[in-house]
Amino acid sequence: MSSTLQQLIDQPYQHGFVTDIESDVVARGLNEDVIRLISSKKDEPEWLLEFRLAAYRHWLTMTLPEWSTVDYPAIDFQAISYYAAPKAKKKLASMDEVDPELLRTFEKLGVPIHEQKALAGVAVDVIFDSVSVTTTYKKRLAEAGVIFCSLSEAVHEHPELVRRYLGSVVGANDNYYAALNSAVFTEGSFCFIPRGVKCPMELSTYFRINTQESGQFERTLIVAEEGADVSYLEGCTAPQFDTNQLHAAVVELVALERASIKYSTVQNWYAGDANGVGGIYNFVTKRGVCKGAYSRISWTQVETGSAITWKYPSCVLEGDHSVGEFYSVALTNHHQQADTGTKMIHLGRNTRSTIISKGISAGQSKNSYRGLVQVGPKAEGARNYSQCDSMLIGDRCAASTFPYLRVMNESARVEHEATTSKIGADQLFYFASRGVDNESAVSMIINGFVKDVFTQLPMEFAVEASKLLGLKLEGSVG
Amino acid sequence: MKATSGNPWLESLLAGHEGLPTASASWVDVRRRGALEQAHALALPTRTDEAWRFTDLSSLYRMAFKVLGQSDPAGVRSVSADTPAVMGRIAAHQLPEAAHRLVFVDGIYEPGLSTACVAEGIRVCSLADVLAAAADPLHERVQGTLGRIAGTDDDALATLNMAFLQQGAVVSLERHAQLTGPLHLLFVSAQADIAAHPRVLVMLDAHAQAHIVEDHVSLHAGAGCVNAVTEILLGAGASLRHARIQRDSGAAFHIARCAVELQRDARYESVAIALGARLSRLDLDVHLRGEGAHASVDGLAMIAGGQLADTHTLIDHACAHGTSRQTHKVILAGNAQGVFNGRILVRPGAQQTDSSQQSRTLLLSDRARIDAKPQLEIFADDVKCAHGATVGQIEADELFYLVSRGIAPPAARRLLTFGFAADLINRLGIASLEQRLRELVLEQTESLRIPA
Repeated sequence: MSSTLQQLIDQPYQHGFVTDIESDVVARGLNEDVIRLISSKKDEPEWLLEFRLAAYRHWLTMTLPEWSTVDYPAIDFQAISYYAAPKAKKKLASMDEVDPELLRTFEKLGVPIHEQKALAGVAVDVIFDSVSVTTTYKKRLAEAGVIFCSLSEAVHEHPELVRRYLGSVVGANDNYYAALNSAVFTEGSFCFIPRGVKCPMELSTYFRINTQESGQFERTLIVAEEGADVSYLEGCTAPQFDTNQLHAAVVELVALERASIKYSTVQNWYAGDANGVGGIYNFVTKRGVCKGAYSRISWTQVETGSAITWKYPSCVLEGDHSVGEFYSVALTNHHQQADTGTKMIHLGRNTRSTIISKGISAGQSKNSYRGLVQVGPKAEGARNYSQCDSMLIGDRCAASTFPYLRVMNESARVEHEATTSKIGADQLFYFASRGVDNESAVSMIINGFVKDVFTQLPMEFAVEASKLLGLKLEGSVG
Repeated sequence: MKATSGNPWLESLLAGHEGLPTASASWVDVRRRGALEQAHALALPTRTDEAWRFTDLSSLYRMAFKVLGQSDPAGVRSVSADTPAVMGRIAAHQLPEAAHRLVFVDGIYEPGLSTACVAEGIRVCSLADVLAAAADPLHERVQGTLGRIAGTDDDALATLNMAFLQQGAVVSLERHAQLTGPLHLLFVSAQADIAAHPRVLVMLDAHAQAHIVEDHVSLHAGAGCVNAVTEILLGAGASLRHARIQRDSGAAFHIARCAVELQRDARYESVAIALGARLSRLDLDVHLRGEGAHASVDGLAMIAGGQLADTHTLIDHACAHGTSRQTHKVILAGNAQGVFNGRILVRPGAQQTDSSQQSRTLLLSDRARIDAKPQLEIFADDVKCAHGATVGQIEADELFYLVSRGIAPPAARRLLTFGFAADLINRLGIASLEQRLRELVLEQTESLRIPA
């Protein structure tokens, strides 16, 4: 039983390869000159350079956060190269002009570049290292009035929008890694859905870290104006190598009155080998603010990769009657660590939030849910429901739940539930007695366990995520 | 703790410490001095400590209290125990069901009001008496056991308690011994502005059984400070019911640590009720160190006005087949503040653990505030663990049900609030105490200004 489980756990990383493309890499290290260099390479306006420098100066005064349960060797921030761009300089008009090496990489990853037109409804802003190589479906989006482009493009083409919203949700001084990101971010996506527009297709970005030892510091900014509606998908894979890579991204969402933003993530970065060597450090600050009344922000995440996942996609519910949602599946195996959860900050009246978190730990991994539900004194009639379930596979892993409930209004109603379970021998026996082998039984049980979250994923992602879980856990239960 | 300046509380304690009489057993003095030195090395908790994030002790640190020394007879027996009026008021707190009683007035043992017990295999006596009698076989055992499970490594407050080691109770039951009825440990605050450091040590050998009520009451409405430590060791198959009632004055500070260790198949059932004190904090750590041990750890805090009640519990499953149950309820009115931190730890190898925890908070005012943090930390796979936490107000449909039967809404609200609390009081298992607490809760419910 445990040997099959072991086989499943021991599946090597499927996406481990390094594409051999010449990169334009800035020398390692971080100081004001490097920040000025990044800013000038990207031809940025003065205010953005000031934003970066202010963040950097504040970052220098901050100390590394140590309150979490994640455990990792000290990061040498001077050993990281903060900027890498593929050599190809000119903008490409069609797919044929894309470097064939790059295209082969995408093929291996299964990014549907060639099928995009057939797979109508998915616009892909491919980020290859730090510079956006190709953006599609721009025209159709432009017709609807939606702006969807790389952040650096947006800085040039829509400076007033970027300046207004950048750093408005996650301030440059918010936390250690957010400050670092604000100082050195090199790429990311910008999405703006104007008043009353329902985005005609699901937006999707594939982030991919490629150059060894280059940390990635993306920044995503999504703004939905009054009554706008958007669903944004983010998926990640990374090639396999031994040096740990730091990934400190920032995602900011702004929803104005009656706007709705749905943000989905499938994260499958390199998790390190079976002995816990290598793997990505995924330290991300994700936060959305429901500014207007009746607005809604929904986070869905499937976290299966990274050596360490450390993030809390959060909602600040400012507008009356606004809604925040968080649906999460976090799977850890071998020596992976995950410390993830959410914060729901209820400020407006009759605000509602739902938290569904499913953690699966196998091998010697550590999986923690950490969350905060806070109801401010003025949040009359606030309502929260949280459910955090853990499943343990094997007796060397750990699962923890740290919910903070903070209520300062008597009319609030806050409920939290958590359970822990395992795949029992009796369950497997039940399946076996009906002719279902262990592998399929485990897959069915796991898929049942995470069903509440997977139903929230957009269709294509749900299929992909379901496969991913099976792949990650193959042989790990028995 | 390094700087005592600006901390009148600590200054007053240290001044009082110098006035303590020399103990007859030299090791007691050594322990006290060691603890004092260690207390100097440790920092007093502030809000930057995660465990004290929501409970601010700075109001305590600004107060100064008297320490009663044994050598100072005038100070020792307070105004107190000789005046018939005070005696009568203390007697009113006695429980008719209690088989034995130890009474402490302002932290000091009062033999005249107590009924100690020395029977076959049973010792219930004052800690000061045991410390003074080196020939007593219990003396050596107390020496070896004190401070073993309520560690002083990182807890400045428990360390301070050790620095004042003198007064308290010792309960020791040999194998298969049983107390015939409940033991009432009554701690009375008779005069204001006293700092007391009571210490209780309970040792039940294999299969022994006892029922203990630790009862803190106040005869005045003034300030006071209790810093109590209770250590409970339960041998294989031993069983203890433990009630802890805190009804201190509304101006008092009450800090308590209770540590429990259970061996194989031992049972520990506790109910902790906090109704009084301006600021109260209970740290209850239960360690299941043998297979098949069971702990049920219930709590109720009902406070109003500017009161704060903080309960931190740890249920540590270190061995297989352990079970634990916990229900913690908090009722908050006025601008009261409640804190609940319930940690359940299942260590590697503690397979077949079955643990469940419920935390429920009733908010009766829009100025009240709760910080609840139930935590599960699980390092074994074959376990059943669940926790739930709710924060809310009186259910609208429950209220409607009562109103539809002709009960006026304010009365219906009081009834439901009372019922919420009574559920836990009814678990105490001592009729007269239950009755008294129900009356007290009803009184508090009546005085609540519940919005109609």
